[in-house]
Amino acid sequence: MVRTLVTGFEARLDDGMTVRRAAFVYATLVLYYGFLLIPIFWLVRSSIVTDEMLRARELDLLPLAHLTAENYARVLGNGTFRSYFLNSTLIAIATTLLTLGVGIPAAYSVSRFDYPGRDYVVLGLISSQMLPLVLVLIPFFTVMFRMNLVDTRMGLVFAHAVGVLPFVVWLLKGYFDAIPEALDEAAKMDGCGHLQIMYRILVPLSLPGIAVAGFYAFVGSWNDYLFVSILSQSTDTRTLPLGLQLFQTAQQVDWGAVTAAAVVTAVPVVVLFALVRQWLVEGMSNTGGKGF
Amino acid sequence: MATSTDRLSAYRKQFVSLSTETWLGWGLLLPAALLMGVIILYPILDGILTSFQARSFLRPEIREFVLLANYRALVRDGVFWTALWNSAVLTGVSVALQFLLGLGLALLLKQQVPGIAVFRSITMVTWVLPVIVIVIVFNWLVQPGYGLVNLILAELGLPTDYWFSNRTWAMPLIVLMHVWKNAPFFAIALFAAMQSIPNELYEAAKMDGASAVQQFRYITLPNISYVAMIMIVLHVLYTFNNFDFVWLSTGGGPLRTTEVLPTYVYKQAFQQYALGYAASIGVVMLIIMMTFTVVYVKLEDFD
Repeated sequence: MVRTLVTGFEARLDDGMTVRRAAFVYATLVLYYGFLLIPIFWLVRSSIVTDEMLRARELDLLPLAHLTAENYARVLGNGTFRSYFLNSTLIAIATTLLTLGVGIPAAYSVSRFDYPGRDYVVLGLISSQMLPLVLVLIPFFTVMFRMNLVDTRMGLVFAHAVGVLPFVVWLLKGYFDAIPEALDEAAKMDGCGHLQIMYRILVPLSLPGIAVAGFYAFVGSWNDYLFVSILSQSTDTRTLPLGLQLFQTAQQVDWGAVTAAAVVTAVPVVVLFALVRQWLVEGMSNTGGKGF
Repeated sequence: MATSTDRLSAYRKQFVSLSTETWLGWGLLLPAALLMGVIILYPILDGILTSFQARSFLRPEIREFVLLANYRALVRDGVFWTALWNSAVLTGVSVALQFLLGLGLALLLKQQVPGIAVFRSITMVTWVLPVIVIVIVFNWLVQPGYGLVNLILAELGLPTDYWFSNRTWAMPLIVLMHVWKNAPFFAIALFAAMQSIPNELYEAAKMDGASAVQQFRYITLPNISYVAMIMIVLHVLYTFNNFDFVWLSTGGGPLRTTEVLPTYVYKQAFQQYALGYAASIGVVMLIIMMTFTVVYVKLEDFD
């Protein structure tokens, strides 16, 4: 029985792959993915068990008798948490739109036009990714203050958009560069202007790249803690990374609610990630793994 | 006469087309450039200026030039040196581990065993998680009494603790969180680079009787070194610049054993209100990061 299983398995292996080697590969994979996935499993498990089970001092991987949706009910039933969720969503969507809105023309410009100063623009884009954010934050706060943008969603959108813009332009430039300029020329012959070339030729042909850039902008905004912690001073603008503090005080942490809230915070980005994953990996091999 | 007019009009055409190209190029760039100028360029210049001033967050409009006083204080500030050292250790150890574990995983993912596609597709899931979620997960794992790690340690008869408040283990835990998040990303980038190596190279090497180790040393490694270098430089910058992991997990404690430059700048600016002093620490960070940026740009040109 075992022997037939092994030979059956062997038949499915490529040349040069022995059963022993495959067994070694699987064993190492299990170890590695244990390291990666056990914390995630434990987070989800903790969010769906009763409080009594949460504080049990014994190891029970999945206590089926003690499952509950109560933690999620408490988290989602919390009005403040819901408004944080709404803020996160609105700010992340607006960040994505703003970033793509100014990033696509900018990438088109640095990809297709040749003008004095262009190389410095590209250089500036790359190096601005590498500034110490805390140093930027100090004057940034005073700029925002002068423009009356402290504690507004718009202030956060600006902060987040600028944080991700250099990389987005850089990424899109890579995609635009890969599209043959002969297509531009052909479109020009047909009487297309520059803007038409941009949104009729380059944008449709680099949709996967735009999806990845949009994903990057969304996640950058969704996950940000630093700017929100400084610019946001009321429930009207606070986002989920701060919302997780709702369920803990200095004395006590409601771990059931905290873990449930963490899952709720993680789910949207994980879902988006699953949607663009294929293009993300593709783009990584295109751009040599730059960024992120 | 006719030819010179022709030539003139040709020049003119060239000039006009060149200038429209320039104008349009800049025009398309303008919104992005404005945004970057107001929100990045100005703040960074102002930050550098602030580092030469005595300035408090309580009255930020009062800016008195003190020249190098902030920097002089910095050199004598023990906490600054601690934070600098911690930043260097955190960055160096995290990135080294991310690279090694990522390389190992990339080599595993390359193996053509049934079901490997499933592993490939879930690899990067830790990378996309918000830092706050990662901190919560690890914080929960090491809770005294009922955290998973302590449950297992107790089962094995080993000492238990709230490990984030342990002076020896707080920093390794922060390194672990960085590695947990980023090693899979290294793996996928290196794996993608390995996929683009033509198979003929390996076949030719096998013909010549090269061992697996030799194939790795003379084919795989040289072909992924470019991607690897870029990944390493970027993650050095990312880790050195990162504020969230430390701030949200230990806040720099216990007893400053995990204090890093970003958390120290943040505390000086937004808790002590010492803007000038905070900015001078930020400028030191800037200089260190710029050094790495130069390396990065050099690498880019290399391609």
